[in-house]
Amino acid sequence: MPPIRTSIKSQKAPPEGFEDIEPTLIEFKNKMKDAENASHEGKKKYEMSWPIFQISHQRSRYIYDLYYEKEAISRQLYDWLLKNQYADAMLIAKWKKQGYEKLCCNRCIQTKETNFRSTCICRVPKTNLKENENIQCISCGCRGCSSGD
Amino acid sequence: MASLPARPPAGVLPLPPGWIEYKSPEGHPYYFNEHTQETTYTRPRFPTRGPPGPPPGGPRAFHNGPPQAFRDAPPAAPSNLPAGMTLNPNDIFNPFAANLPEAPRQQRSAWSQQFSHNGPQQHGGRGGHRGGHRAFPDRRKHSDDKPKHRHHIPNCAPWVLVQTKFKRRFVWNWETNESLWKFPADVMKAVVEFDQLEREKKERKERGEPEPEPEEAHTVMAEAEAEAEAEAESGPRPRVVEVQRPAEPAQESHVMDYDEEEYEEVEVTDDEGEESVQPSKRQRTEEPAEEAPLEMGEEDLEWQLAEMEAEYADDYAEEEEGLELTEEDCRALFSELLDDIGVSPYTTWDKIIEDGVLFDDERYKALPTMKARKECFDIWSRHKIQFLKEQKANQKTLDPRIPYLALLHDKATPKLYWVEFKKKFKKEPEMRDTKLNDKVREQLYRDHIKRMQLGQSTRKSDLSSLLKEQSISKLNRSTTLDTLPSSVLTDLRFISLPVAARNALVETYISTLSSAPEGAAQSEEERAEVAKKAAEKERRQRALVEREKRVEEERRRQERELRYQKGQLRDADMEIERALRVGKEGLRGQLQGLGGDLEKSSGDKEAENEVGLRTVPGSLDSTSTI
Repeated sequence: MPPIRTSIKSQKAPPEGFEDIEPTLIEFKNKMKDAENASHEGKKKYEMSWPIFQISHQRSRYIYDLYYEKEAISRQLYDWLLKNQYADAMLIAKWKKQGYEKLCCNRCIQTKETNFRSTCICRVPKTNLKENENIQCISCGCRGCSSGD
Repeated sequence: MASLPARPPAGVLPLPPGWIEYKSPEGHPYYFNEHTQETTYTRPRFPTRGPPGPPPGGPRAFHNGPPQAFRDAPPAAPSNLPAGMTLNPNDIFNPFAANLPEAPRQQRSAWSQQFSHNGPQQHGGRGGHRGGHRAFPDRRKHSDDKPKHRHHIPNCAPWVLVQTKFKRRFVWNWETNESLWKFPADVMKAVVEFDQLEREKKERKERGEPEPEPEEAHTVMAEAEAEAEAEAESGPRPRVVEVQRPAEPAQESHVMDYDEEEYEEVEVTDDEGEESVQPSKRQRTEEPAEEAPLEMGEEDLEWQLAEMEAEYADDYAEEEEGLELTEEDCRALFSELLDDIGVSPYTTWDKIIEDGVLFDDERYKALPTMKARKECFDIWSRHKIQFLKEQKANQKTLDPRIPYLALLHDKATPKLYWVEFKKKFKKEPEMRDTKLNDKVREQLYRDHIKRMQLGQSTRKSDLSSLLKEQSISKLNRSTTLDTLPSSVLTDLRFISLPVAARNALVETYISTLSSAPEGAAQSEEERAEVAKKAAEKERRQRALVEREKRVEEERRRQERELRYQKGQLRDADMEIERALRVGKEGLRGQLQGLGGDLEKSSGDKEAENEVGLRTVPGSLDSTSTI
């Protein structure tokens, strides 16, 4: 049986610059905890996970922006954050691709699990939808994440 | 105050006691009850108020003016008119109203419009384009200043001092019918005397002493009116009134920041046939306003005029803006706001919005949309982070060993092993600092304990040798104990002596050193840079304030326009209502009513004709200079 490691001791100390973004990350962490513990009263089954997806998306976007847009954090810190799962590396990988700049979650572009081998409704541009049609996708509650919107 | 008998305002029923009429800034009259603190736009008194008809036999004796002129006007002797206050009620009866530079032309009292609406009307403003029964006065075009109080000036016989609604004063010669804003020299003297007298009287009044009744004022005004009446009866004839500009004394030294034109010669010509006759104006009854500042010199007058012009400027053509607020400035303002509230550049935009720290500031509105603000925030945070990074790079990072060594200096004793020491002080921030390795800590601790067991003299000589090793650029005469170089502070030899002995040693050593080589040439440029930035910032701030003011002005203008149009709509509604009110008699009844109206209006016309003799109606606005 492998030794049980508590996270603090086994963790490598965060690289330089972590203390700058720490308050924001703690806030995200608290929000996530609240979302996890929120009551399911009056919610549909698939709605339950929406806030989780949302916060995870926001946090990933925050780190992505810091590294790629604002160039505020070092490569080491960025890697450290990805390794410690502050951001979703797979999602960020998609954001770098053209046409996926605003992608809400990876499940929404997964065609294999859908009935008609298509992407989620939130990937459809607003212009292709009917007038005043408000959609919210089942997997993450996204209201539309096509790049053209 | 020369208390002349108040003449009743024409076409107005008296207000019940306790009610006071006011004019709103837009010109609408409204009424205020002193006792009940009630405010209303509808005129109180008669709940079933029909169109103001012929008078129910009012107190004619109260009238001072020609009675026949009041034929159609219901007499109104305002019972609540305070004593000692002079009302100059009616522009029709006001011989010098025409000479007033901007006598209001459009105002027509309710009754005169009632009876004259069938005749060809020519309204000054847009208010008349529908031929409404109650032409809505276009107040934007003319500020309706008008004479209000008339004072007799002692020892200056034909001249009368007139105070207008806006507290401007001018003199009127009732013999030659001259009106002058500028007092002639002799009149000026008399006016000054008069002012003095007024002040004394006021003081006396405050003390509660009785006031002697100025009788001569009565006679003077009666004379003037009698004359005017005689003139009116002699038949209509066009008149040319020359308003002479008095020869200005050469030694006059007041600053003329106001337009000279004001004092230019004005020729007022009137034509009896013109329809833009001096309209009768419903007088407002008002409790005596605050006494005008009596010692009002010419400078004051000028200043007031300038003020008024600024306030009532009817053309809203923007003066060329001194300060332009470009988009870049807006963004800079917003960035400054972000700087000022001390928000971290590492936070998210959503967080800032949620906290709501931005909304209170005016600079928040410098940018119009949320999207623009977010973009601005992104740019700002990028720059700010870069700036912080540079700053950090420039700043010598504080060696983590320095606070740790300070802790050792305070707490370490040879009695404790490293493990014991570590356990005892594990809560100290120096012990938890991640930048310093545990191994390094242990090593330092052991070395320090070892050094503590050495003799005092060896430790002293070690410290002096350490100080001698330092280069002169780092350690020199200007160095103090607080600004010692880090190479000294991170050395174990530095902490191995007790504080008092160590400080004495270091200070004596520093005093023997020479001063450091100086280089402060670049400070000049830096200062210039800072000054430039500050000036730029101030300019932007001023521009923002100015824009704010412009926006406010625009808003006010729009509001006024809206109100004006609402008034017009109301007129139209009233007209329609009137048209619908045919009743059972049908067309005949209406025609009869029309005939009656015509009769009445012709009677009204006559009255107006008579009135017109006294007034100098006509193309005032073309000649008026203000």
